[in-house]
Amino acid sequence: MTGRVMVTGADGYLGRRTAARFLAGTDSRLVLTVRASDREELAVKRAGLLAALGAAADGRTEVVPADLTRDAPLAEVATTLTGIVHSAARTAFDVSRTEALRVNVDGTLRVARFAAGCDGLESFVLLSTLVSAGCRTGEITETLLDDGVECANHYEWSKGEAERRLSHEFPGLPVTIARLATIVADDESGRVTQYNAFHNTLKLFFYGLLTLMPGRPDTRLYLATADFTSRGIVHLARSGTAAGVYHLAPDGSEAVRLGEALDTVFTVFESDPSFRRRRLLRPEFCDRDSFGHLVSAARSLGASPAAGALRSVAPFAEQMFHPKLFDHTRLLADWHDAPGSSGMRLVTATCESLVRTRWGRHAPPPTPTGPEA
Amino acid sequence: METCRTEGAGKHAFVADLGYSLGAVACTLKESEAAGRLNSTAADLGEAGFHTHHVCPPGVTSYDLAREAVGQVVGHAVGNFAGQGAGDAPVDAIVYSTCLPHNGSVSDLAAWEASKDVKHLMDFPASRLQADLDIGEPVVFGLNQQGCTGMLGAVRLAGALLAGEPDWERVLCVSADRFPPGARYEQSYSVISDGAAACVVSSRPGPGALRLVAAHQITNGGLHAASDDATVGTFFSYVPRLVRQTAERAGLSVGDFDWVVPQNTNQNAWLLLSRLLGIDHGRVWQSTLADVGHAISADNIINLKALLATGRVEPGQRILLVMAGHGLNWQAVVLEATEYIR
Repeated sequence: MTGRVMVTGADGYLGRRTAARFLAGTDSRLVLTVRASDREELAVKRAGLLAALGAAADGRTEVVPADLTRDAPLAEVATTLTGIVHSAARTAFDVSRTEALRVNVDGTLRVARFAAGCDGLESFVLLSTLVSAGCRTGEITETLLDDGVECANHYEWSKGEAERRLSHEFPGLPVTIARLATIVADDESGRVTQYNAFHNTLKLFFYGLLTLMPGRPDTRLYLATADFTSRGIVHLARSGTAAGVYHLAPDGSEAVRLGEALDTVFTVFESDPSFRRRRLLRPEFCDRDSFGHLVSAARSLGASPAAGALRSVAPFAEQMFHPKLFDHTRLLADWHDAPGSSGMRLVTATCESLVRTRWGRHAPPPTPTGPEA
Repeated sequence: METCRTEGAGKHAFVADLGYSLGAVACTLKESEAAGRLNSTAADLGEAGFHTHHVCPPGVTSYDLAREAVGQVVGHAVGNFAGQGAGDAPVDAIVYSTCLPHNGSVSDLAAWEASKDVKHLMDFPASRLQADLDIGEPVVFGLNQQGCTGMLGAVRLAGALLAGEPDWERVLCVSADRFPPGARYEQSYSVISDGAAACVVSSRPGPGALRLVAAHQITNGGLHAASDDATVGTFFSYVPRLVRQTAERAGLSVGDFDWVVPQNTNQNAWLLLSRLLGIDHGRVWQSTLADVGHAISADNIINLKALLATGRVEPGQRILLVMAGHGLNWQAVVLEATEYIR
């Protein structure tokens, strides 16, 4: 793959890894956008990003500022791009609707407007999420979804809305929508350097702050590594990829069931002496109303750090009541040598890493960002 | 009914003569917030269902609270007892529990400091009760390592004592706690009241008698130093376990409980637990939450008394008392209303 590819949100967890993968696996030159309020912040971010990318970035990358919530945010970028990976987003599950709209929907449309002026553009990859499907249940195909379904949170809604509006308002763009799984580790070793609702929920369990599991034991969890995901993104960004939706995730048959995952998690926890000493019980599954009462109770525990954490994971927990079977036939047809899912092994490795590092408090040795890591 | 059993041997035990006392100064949450007695905001605690709590004025001790609570029940109990011709030993034992260990002694700290004689640290309130009240010559037992579950532990121990001592007829159970001056009146997001409770466990039923069907306790020492958040978190796993195990121990199912009388804690807690356990929340009696707060180990007796006062409890109905406390401990007692409650 050659040409000039722009990655938005390039200093983010996934943006950085995607850039590294481009540098390692293609001959593309990169335009990396970062959000910076002034020159000083830009200089800091540029230095940090280039240091993380290492020697591979020398002479092949330019780092430019771009605030996608403002008009014409990419005015400094030449329109000679061949590819765009739109990674910048607000990904918190408790993001407000206003903020989600401003960043995830309007920001995407601003990038698309810029892309429409890039005559040589061969690929526009929007990083979305599996949960843009909202509260649908059952089989979810790799197609655009209408907006007639309730969403568990504004983040989900905003990603679905971005998919729809990008596709409908810019039919001439070579749009590829990559719906990502929940990224739980950097790679198969289980190392975690970016924490999300998955890790925070396990942390609540480990410390006995949450002892109920919202959801259904048979709900499938679609988990992936950043390594797998960034490989997939770069693969989908190549010029030969057919436009459309791809589920960059394990197949439904490979996805782990919530009940089994929880058993695995607690088996790992119970191998830790300090956890065993506390004799915490394995969590009981509870229904939506019960979990709602728990969240209501947490609302009145304003001073509680655990309640704060619970409130932050609650919007994600809603998905545990909506089992889905994601099809990824299109992905496999396009990416023949896609690495298989390690399923429960990834859960085990991730959990072991979390316990060993106490959720990052005992930091593991630093590792490079790049795909060689 | 045959499947129900009292702790210990086959001898029945009956709980009756409920009394309690609270700190004399009633404070609203706003007042206590302003006085620096709370960790959480008054608004948050109000949302949890609390409104007023009770604090002892300076100079009033936990023993004073205990004596007031016992005073409510002993005269009545002695009258019942005397009417049944049991001679001149109306109470055979006192089980005196405290949540805070320092309330298990009415020590003269000044005398201790002056003399360094440890006897000044061993002035026991149960002995004082025996001397101060005309209740015979009961022997005394102290419980001070069961946190807020101490009153239920006292009832359990009383049942076991009556079963193991053929000649004993009556055990006085007392729980009394007063927070030390300057203490924050909030634990694990519950607003605390200074308070005491008392009841009498007898081998024969009398007015208001509730048969002691079963008692059960879980202690998890691994959580002996649990934070407030871990205490709250584990509440939702250990209480369901406690309730189910208690039901099993009593030869019952959870659905057999007609009433649940819990501690005064966040009103949403039992909304959740009742759903988990399949209990009608309308049968969970926590009616004193707003006005009393969490009176430490006295909550069950206070709420039970309120429930009985409604006249809604029928003979044969089973009442589950549940409490969680530091240690961590969880205790439950199953009572069955007798014909004597009419």
